[in-house]
Amino acid sequence: MPTKKLSLEALARVEGEGSLELFLHDGKVETARLRIFEPPRFFEAFLRGRAAAEVPDIVARICGICPVAYQMSAVHALEHGLGVVVDGPLRLLRRLLYCGEWIESHVLHIVLLHAPDFLGYPDAIAISRDHRAEVERGLALKRAGNEIVRLLGGREIHPINVRVGGFYRLPSPAELSALRARLERAREEAVALLRWVATFPMPEYQRDYEFIALRHPSEYPMNEGQIASSRGLSLAPEEFDTAFEERHLPHSTALYCSLRERGSYLVGPLARYNLNFDRLPPSIQAHAREAGLGAACHNPFQSILVRSVEVLFACEEALRLLSLYEPPEAPALPLPRVAGEGHAATEAPRGLLYHRYRFDAEGTIEQARIVPPTSQNQASIEEDLRLLAESLLALPEESLRARCEQAIRNYDPCISCSTHFLRLRIHGR
Amino acid sequence: MTISSEPSRPRPLLVAGLGNPDRGDDGFGPAVIARLARLALPEVDLLAFCRPLDLLDHWEGRGLVLVLDAALPRGKPGRLHRIDPLGDWALLPPAASASTHGLGLAEAIELGRTLGRLPGQIIVYAAEGSSFAPGAPLSPSVAAAVDEAVERIAEECRRAG
Repeated sequence: MPTKKLSLEALARVEGEGSLELFLHDGKVETARLRIFEPPRFFEAFLRGRAAAEVPDIVARICGICPVAYQMSAVHALEHGLGVVVDGPLRLLRRLLYCGEWIESHVLHIVLLHAPDFLGYPDAIAISRDHRAEVERGLALKRAGNEIVRLLGGREIHPINVRVGGFYRLPSPAELSALRARLERAREEAVALLRWVATFPMPEYQRDYEFIALRHPSEYPMNEGQIASSRGLSLAPEEFDTAFEERHLPHSTALYCSLRERGSYLVGPLARYNLNFDRLPPSIQAHAREAGLGAACHNPFQSILVRSVEVLFACEEALRLLSLYEPPEAPALPLPRVAGEGHAATEAPRGLLYHRYRFDAEGTIEQARIVPPTSQNQASIEEDLRLLAESLLALPEESLRARCEQAIRNYDPCISCSTHFLRLRIHGR
Repeated sequence: MTISSEPSRPRPLLVAGLGNPDRGDDGFGPAVIARLARLALPEVDLLAFCRPLDLLDHWEGRGLVLVLDAALPRGKPGRLHRIDPLGDWALLPPAASASTHGLGLAEAIELGRTLGRLPGQIIVYAAEGSSFAPGAPLSPSVAAAVDEAVERIAEECRRAG
């Protein structure tokens, strides 16, 4: 069988490095393999022997784009192991911090990484030349997210103000009031962003995914909830291992996570939205409908719209939280000195992020486990690419590659945990 | 990693170190910033971060921005390149950046140019790296380049001040 190899170094707009191989037989795509070079479990090994109090600052450095998510899953897991529940204003501030990360991470991806695919530009610079106002607005909106993270996280990148039991320093009323004014503007910018994205040409593609996301009794999920699936699963985070398994496949250094006896599934904005549309406030639901979305969405390309809805939700939710906030008596709860094991899952911008820690009575970490969203989505990304590539095989290689890259970016695969380029090889064409 | 708190009014001179301290030689920029912080240079803002795009939020309105970054190997690990990207742009094509992130320094500068958001002058000090492995420390040659960079940046700051 003739084998054609094509080397592509074009996926700079995904955080990290990867290569895609398509294996063809009789005009069908038999297999799509996405290699993701993830530092294999470096941080899990690195955390063993460290003090639990250090964990939030260490895991924040796993990812430059979503440090808050790593911190939140870590502190919740450690608190679960300690039997401590952080509630009231401290819980509120954590949710506010998460809103900031959703805004900055989503907006960066929507405007500078994904929008160029939809509008036919090669990169962020090219789109900025023709859509300067939209890009400027996006950068301003992203800055509003940065402001939240800077205020509550202590700094924008790799925040240092989150601790087990709460925070090190609480924001002052004056700081919160300035933030409020900034977020009022951000909400308007988010409405405009959603309306802009709603005008993008949208590829037709549908798949019947099994969606996995947190589900909370009343909130659109961020820090807390049962792990729920669109096919009836509902688990506490500590039951993660009973339903999910991680496997190592030779072609990738990332671990594949799948549902036992069920296979691939999808986490991220699309999963959250499908499982929790009813948890969005009516005003946000109305904006989603105006943008052309229903209560369910099975087109992964529309994830860019769903992300835009989540940005608007995060702005509105942040304002709501600010209006409810009353300063707590102390920035953190006292912690018992006990050995324990704790689990938590939170909703990183890219999807469910599961952490588990076991620690001794001195608070020394004995075992750490981190399951990031990208490894959970990898099997789904490959299945999307296989089906999509098959329907597009008649296209010139350049167009096929562009559409494959766009499809990979549907998942916003994050890998500070990885590196730069996509190389595409097509075997048997 | 050291980051000075930014005053409400940015000073005309900014020194920014890019990179991830947990990725071997990618930690060059933050390592230099940590050393410069101990020198207490007057009238200079110091920042360390790993998302080059964040430069756009910090360099507008500044007179001079000195950027420290790691570069891909080009034959001599630890060799320090002084580049004026607004003058000799060709020296810093996007592929030369060793950033672990999607939008690199070259893209940040180009985006700043497109949006009209650049400082008066940018000088990049790029150290050729050799290893970017997770969890690795700086390689000996890049650690030596940190010493050289600290001296040269301090001198640039004194001249600019």
